[in-house]
Amino acid sequence: MSLRETGRRLRLRRTGWIPPDARVRHYDELGEEAQILVRELAGRPRTAPETGDLDDGDFVKFTDYYQVRTR
Amino acid sequence: MSNSYVIVGDGIAGASAAETLREEAPDAEITVLTDEGESLYNRILIKEYAKGKLPEAPISIHQEEWYDDHDVDLRLNTVVVDIDVENDAIHTHEGETFEYDSLLLAIGGTPQQLPVENADADGIHHFWTFQDARRIKESVEDAEKAVIVGAGLLGIDFAAICGAQDVEAKYLMRGDNWWRYALSEEGAELMHEAMRKRGVEPVFDSGVDRFEVDDDGHVEAAVDPSGDRYECDFAGVAIGLNFNTELVENTPLEVEDGLVVDEYMRTNVDNVFAAGDITTFNDLVLGEQAKNGSWGSAKEQGTVAARNMLEYESEAFEWVSSYSITHFDFPFLSFGHPTLGDDSVEATTAEGEWRRVALKNGKVVGGVLIGDLSPQSAFKQLMREGRDVSGQTELLMEPGFSVDDLAATTQQ
Repeated sequence: MSLRETGRRLRLRRTGWIPPDARVRHYDELGEEAQILVRELAGRPRTAPETGDLDDGDFVKFTDYYQVRTR
Repeated sequence: MSNSYVIVGDGIAGASAAETLREEAPDAEITVLTDEGESLYNRILIKEYAKGKLPEAPISIHQEEWYDDHDVDLRLNTVVVDIDVENDAIHTHEGETFEYDSLLLAIGGTPQQLPVENADADGIHHFWTFQDARRIKESVEDAEKAVIVGAGLLGIDFAAICGAQDVEAKYLMRGDNWWRYALSEEGAELMHEAMRKRGVEPVFDSGVDRFEVDDDGHVEAAVDPSGDRYECDFAGVAIGLNFNTELVENTPLEVEDGLVVDEYMRTNVDNVFAAGDITTFNDLVLGEQAKNGSWGSAKEQGTVAARNMLEYESEAFEWVSSYSITHFDFPFLSFGHPTLGDDSVEATTAEGEWRRVALKNGKVVGGVLIGDLSPQSAFKQLMREGRDVSGQTELLMEPGFSVDDLAATTQQ
């Protein structure tokens, strides 16, 4: 998956609760660019350019659960 | 061109094949047969459900409506009993016959049972399907003590489930460390310590000689070959898979630790393809036959198989797989074939960070990363490019390693 050219930036927010209607992705399901992004953003107050693999509101299972936020 | 496709299996390999066929052959007749009672779900996440961390709904990937919307004939609870490759037909236990122009077998495997007394007792679990996960969750929630058997990538899921559900567990391993074929004691100790922190105690040079059961036939202890007895009301066994090749026993299809396919996912019968765990495939990256059970590999094989069912030799399967463990507060990742090779290098690169790279004829064939996954892309690139790293292997152990750090070498 390639980076989207939307100008929006993405961050990961650690969360302990997953709603029943959530879209949850495991690290192993993600493309290489999204995996790099998850490794770099998980647990850190950083942002990165949006990636095609992850949408706003998605949840990602890495060493914790993280919710994807874009703006 | 073929226009009638039958897919046996609705895991990620079969489902990705159905998706690809529908996208690239809008008029094709596509039938998917599965012996499970539910359509495609996320097999990577069922362990999270069993841990009690995830509700059921997000684990489903394809609702049954998906198949209607994409004009795919899905048959749940359908057990295939005979594959007649001479007459291009599939026969089911229910007495139905499905004829095909092209067939995909994505029939996977079944967990192996320990060949010991009382191995099928109540309370002894194997972990493969969503139904298994439901039973495990229910059983472990009522448990106080557990025994886990199988010191590999699937066994550690049981350890994580017990840890997450506050069940005190003994993890019985045959050797002196977890996944001893891919990790040295130094690397494995990071995993052991993570288990201990969650109340799971590794027991080395152990195993199970027999299970003991109570008057109701429920497991109450595992006894190891030394005679040590470990009380338990839950046991998780993950010692490997039996590939479901019995379906093709009476066919001309070539079997060798799975269904043998070429790099186009085609078997030795022209209109029969296979994908996913069941395949023994021509691994173009490794340069020999290989097997792989990862989600990404199965998904890619399904896609590649579908394209070659439509037009043979249109796309080869060339893939470096990886598999992560995300149960702990540090990540773990294996890539390629970490248990193969004729040489290896390993190092502790920082506190809590360890890596090992397996080499064959001077080339990277796989490895394990613990704590720091940042070299993952570089190592996979080396594998894809077939770079000879002879004489430079210590560079692979440098924190922040990049492919550019290597001197130019011949690529193959």
